[in-house]
Amino acid sequence: MNSLFFETILIGAGTYLIRAGSLSSGSRIKWPDWVHKWLSFVTPAVLGALLGPLLLSPESDWNSQLHNPTLIATVPTAVVGWFSRNLLLTVAVGVGCFAILRYWI
Amino acid sequence: MERSPYDKGIRDAIPIVSAYFPISMTFGVIATSGGIPWAITILISAWIYAGSAQFMLVSLALSGTSPTSTVITVLLVNLRHFLYGTTLGPSFMKWSEPKRWLSAFGLTDEVFAVTSSRFITETPLPAYQVTFTYICYISWLLGTIIGASIGKVVPSVVSDILSFALPALFVALLMLGNRSIPYFIAAILGAGLSVLADRLSMESFGIVMGALVGATCGMFLQRVSMNLPTRRS
Repeated sequence: MNSLFFETILIGAGTYLIRAGSLSSGSRIKWPDWVHKWLSFVTPAVLGALLGPLLLSPESDWNSQLHNPTLIATVPTAVVGWFSRNLLLTVAVGVGCFAILRYWI
Repeated sequence: MERSPYDKGIRDAIPIVSAYFPISMTFGVIATSGGIPWAITILISAWIYAGSAQFMLVSLALSGTSPTSTVITVLLVNLRHFLYGTTLGPSFMKWSEPKRWLSAFGLTDEVFAVTSSRFITETPLPAYQVTFTYICYISWLLGTIIGASIGKVVPSVVSDILSFALPALFVALLMLGNRSIPYFIAAILGAGLSVLADRLSMESFGIVMGALVGATCGMFLQRVSMNLPTRRS
């Protein structure tokens, strides 16, 4: 847990520098267009990359994926997110569906 | 009657606070029930203050990922904030440098979303921005403290169910984005590469690689699709 302390310090410092550095430099210089374009695609790519391993179960056969509550609960979560565009509602519905799939079915 | 900037800041903070409080509480519960010390859990919220990155850090730390790839992966998750800063930058032109640095700390996804919609119609006042930003921050901190304090006594069934909050949060953020075809292809490529790397036991390297390749492909795809209708000959 000692390394977690240093990881936290480094990530916090890095995150703050990203936020403050971009805001401060953004009020003085104009970044090239492609930098903005590329960064706007980093968000979905990172989210996808984070989600992939979280959603699939460790077994590689299709049958166990079809009975994987995490993967199935993603479907209603995505639908609610698509239509509501509301963060809290989406997370709440997602967790609710996961609870039902995990413990009542 | 003109509303004071403090009142406006408080009003704009309410919807964010109502989302932050339960989500940060969930964060506190997941972290301490997973075995992360109370004080470190609070430090993560107080010092990093970035929801999805915090959940990510906890899950990587608990799975025993190496510190280097943990730091790189989480910072990559937060790289999108660079976009927020450069987008808002021109609106902060008249502010003094210390005030910019003060409000930059709280520039989360949700704060950015509200701020950027506000700044289209009016010039930002530091009093408004700082009030708004730090009310959101305080709610995040309070939620974490409460969650971290009850994490050890929450039944494992509850913390197990709450563990879905992380993927749900990522799915929600994905759906809040610009939702074009190249946008989703970037996400799918990122997911595919990281799953592949995961199966080959290169876990967190896959997240970095998936993110970089996915983003680059998404950008080029958008370029190609924008050029298609105007191509001549």
